Amino acid sequence: MKTIQKLIFTSLIAAFLISCDNAEDLGPLTPLEVTLVEDLAAPNDEIDRNTGEVIQARSFQYFSLELNELVEENENWDIAFKGTTIRVNSSKNVTAAVVSGVFEEITEVPASAKFNTDTANSFAIPTGSGNGWYNYNSATFTVTPIPGRVILVKTAADNYAKIEILSYYRGNPPVEQIDPRTTPSGYYTFQFVLQSNGTSKF
Amino acid sequence: MIRFNLNKIKLIFLLLLSELSMAASFEADKRILDSNGNIIPHALVKLEGQKAMLVDELGKIPQGRMAEKVTVFAMGFESLQLSWEEWVSREEIILKEKSGNLQEVVVSATRTERSVEQLPIPVTVLTTEQIQETGGIRLSEILREQTVLQITSNHGSGLQMQGLDSDYILILLDGEPLIGRTAGTFDLDRISVSNIDRIEILRGPSSAIYGSEAMGGVINIITKSYQNQSDLNLGLRHRSFNSWNPYLEMGLGNRKWNTQLFLDHFQTDGFDLRSEVVGQTQNPYRASTAQLKVSGELSEKFKISLFGRAYQEVSDGILETGSAIGAQLLDLGNQRRDINFNPTLRFKPNADWTITLRGMSSWFGTLSETNFRSSGEAFDFQEFSQFFHRTELQTDYMANAKNLFTLGLGQVKETVDATRYDALNRFDAGYFFLQHLWDPVSKVNIVTGLRADFHSQFGNRLSPKISGQYQISEKLSWQASLGAGFKAPDFRQLLLNFNNAAAGYYVFGANLAADGIARLQEQGLVAQILINPETIGQLNAETSRAINTGFRWKPSSNTQIHINAYRNAIDNLIETAPIAQLVTGQIAFSYFNIRSVITQGVEMDVQVRLLENLTMSGGYAFLDARDLDVLDRIDNGEIFKRNAQNQTRRVTRADYGGLFNRSRHSGNFKVNYRENYSGIDLAFRAIYRGRFGFGDINGNLILDDDREYAPAWVSYNLTASKTFENGLFLELGGTNLLNTATPAQPNNPGRVLFIGMKIPILKLINR
Repeated sequence: MKTIQKLIFTSLIAAFLISCDNAEDLGPLTPLEVTLVEDLAAPNDEIDRNTGEVIQARSFQYFSLELNELVEENENWDIAFKGTTIRVNSSKNVTAAVVSGVFEEITEVPASAKFNTDTANSFAIPTGSGNGWYNYNSATFTVTPIPGRVILVKTAADNYAKIEILSYYRGNPPVEQIDPRTTPSGYYTFQFVLQSNGTSKF
Repeated sequence: MIRFNLNKIKLIFLLLLSELSMAASFEADKRILDSNGNIIPHALVKLEGQKAMLVDELGKIPQGRMAEKVTVFAMGFESLQLSWEEWVSREEIILKEKSGNLQEVVVSATRTERSVEQLPIPVTVLTTEQIQETGGIRLSEILREQTVLQITSNHGSGLQMQGLDSDYILILLDGEPLIGRTAGTFDLDRISVSNIDRIEILRGPSSAIYGSEAMGGVINIITKSYQNQSDLNLGLRHRSFNSWNPYLEMGLGNRKWNTQLFLDHFQTDGFDLRSEVVGQTQNPYRASTAQLKVSGELSEKFKISLFGRAYQEVSDGILETGSAIGAQLLDLGNQRRDINFNPTLRFKPNADWTITLRGMSSWFGTLSETNFRSSGEAFDFQEFSQFFHRTELQTDYMANAKNLFTLGLGQVKETVDATRYDALNRFDAGYFFLQHLWDPVSKVNIVTGLRADFHSQFGNRLSPKISGQYQISEKLSWQASLGAGFKAPDFRQLLLNFNNAAAGYYVFGANLAADGIARLQEQGLVAQILINPETIGQLNAETSRAINTGFRWKPSSNTQIHINAYRNAIDNLIETAPIAQLVTGQIAFSYFNIRSVITQGVEMDVQVRLLENLTMSGGYAFLDARDLDVLDRIDNGEIFKRNAQNQTRRVTRADYGGLFNRSRHSGNFKVNYRENYSGIDLAFRAIYRGRFGFGDINGNLILDDDREYAPAWVSYNLTASKTFENGLFLELGGTNLLNTATPAQPNNPGRVLFIGMKIPILKLINR
């Protein structure tokens, strides 16, 4: 199922790019591959409901878009996950912007996108429901990625990538089957496209 | 004795009264009865060429001289003409009730007595019979069967009217507001129905009389009164889920004083719609109500009444909290109490003036305790207590037969003390309202009103309203009204100081937001202020402008049709929005006026009396409720959705289903049949609720996906009842007979069967 999706995405991108018939376009000649990452486990700290104290701290999960794998904190990671928070590697000048649009339709980094890095006081990818990549539905207690939110990242290797988070729950279940009490959360499923030639076109 | 007002029927009554002759002798054994065989008190007998004679409250008919023709009148009944021979030979004269509820007197619409027929606004009156036929024990069970109303489930059973939620509907008990809302919802299950005489349902904004909260409409619950009679009734009802409802009604009355005592207890084991989850959907609870009403004449000109009511509810249950340490069981204990005391003094120096002084004090409190079962340690503890006092002086002046003026002046004090609020908080408010009832010509009624509210927390507010009615013909009348409504920000929106450590957010009421943020800044916790700090704390009332227009049509004496169309434009709806991001990544929220919505629709009721003992009725309501900001964002291409294959696309207007929890279509079909041989009344009702948005599933927080709807459903309800000759009343029936239940409607337990009886003890003794 997931493999089929991956193929569909790739072929869609291919179809789109083939239809772009601009002679001056110095963009990629081969279609960029859409990479699907499934169930990246990044559970949040264990918090006492009464006091708000952290009972058990957990570490961020550091991910390299270039390598498409988890790496150590001291390596060239691009983004890191813990709970609903996504950090960018400010020590390696990784920056990110959150834009709205259909993932496939974003073929270039828009000029309006404001890239920031994390600081001591703020995150490049804002946290909180409705601010960054997710909505928290207080009626169903469910965290859902906001449809149409795309995270653009300038990686540690100075390449642009676009990321769409698809699910926060293990196994990427259909949203109506998520039971926040029983479905394990903190499991990211996302797709991304990395432009490794240094241009801002996907 | 007789209240002067513009009620047409009463005017006829008065005209007849003026030529009344007080005869000393009485017609023996002759009785004027309704179709149920009950004596109609205060009927009028007019012998041709003679003065009308008034039948007394015991049904004694004065004797008159022989005449060609005899006409018998009574309010709410079709008049009957008889020849002298017929008059003399008949022992029982039975009058037909006028069909429909056009004759019902409504007090809440204009705060003076008017019949439905005379009111230019959409209003429905539910009579004792209509209340009884539902078999309901709590108020929500009566109101859910009405075309114009929906019951929603959010912090209790809330009312929805014309697409507006419980927050915007004022609930009155004998004309005085009931307080005590949780997250804006007034829980209708707090009100027991066994002593309710009738219920008035007013649609459209009534802020011109009642001020805040009466933005969507008003429900006035009128409890029974025993005028000049004594009564003692004991009742017991039992129903599914081991529910029991014993009650006692006692009335003592003479010509000048009457007293009613009412005691009611309800207990239930509750029900569970999701057995796989620990804890019940509705927890077991016990609720008791005591009510005492004393009224009397101090003198010819002074009347006094005292009303007291106390309510206490206790519920308990269990809950499971999930955490990495493992699931833990929690014990819940909740209490609610509610006390009202309303003294009223009425001074009527002459026929033209009425001066009423009302006091109203109300205490409402909740207490909720949640403890870990294993350790007994507290998990959560919440206390809330609210006090509301109002003093109001109302003056009615009947300038002439065509003009009635009303002036009201009032003062309000409100305090609240709660776990989530700092200290004791107090609101003060004052108001006045003016109203003019005007019947310029016999076919036209016009009601204009204006109310000004002055509030210590959010400033001043003017609410105008004008409504008019034109009697196109005997059978058809047209009504239209234009009005403004508002709802003041409540305590929560102004004063909440809440930190949810687990979910990681802060919520500040608008009044505390600036201080709250400043404090967090001092502590070095604020990463980024997300809004212009100057706008913090600028919370205004939510406002609405509404139009209602419709027809009342009586094509024949057995048929009546009511149609009303409306549009409510609501601005400044209050919602939370983020004000700051904290260094921990948490967000602090406060309340702002951000949303604008439109609700519009058509409501229709048709009632046909096919036979003397068979009535059918049908109702239909169409509702369209939309968030204007969502529409803007859709038009700007800013909202997206993702399908089950994880493909994203833009949401179109066609996808948008409007506000959550509103059925586009709803309706009902009812049949009332009296089996003449056994005297059993059968009431069958089919109540339809069309599909409605239940909650966001696809992450964009708007209703735009088929998976986000709860399915349509029909509740088939049947009640059989019989009143025996000695007054004993028995009922048997069931609601939701097909046992349709979904977790999308947590206030619907599925099939409920019930059985009940009412014993008129005093009547039985006196027989």
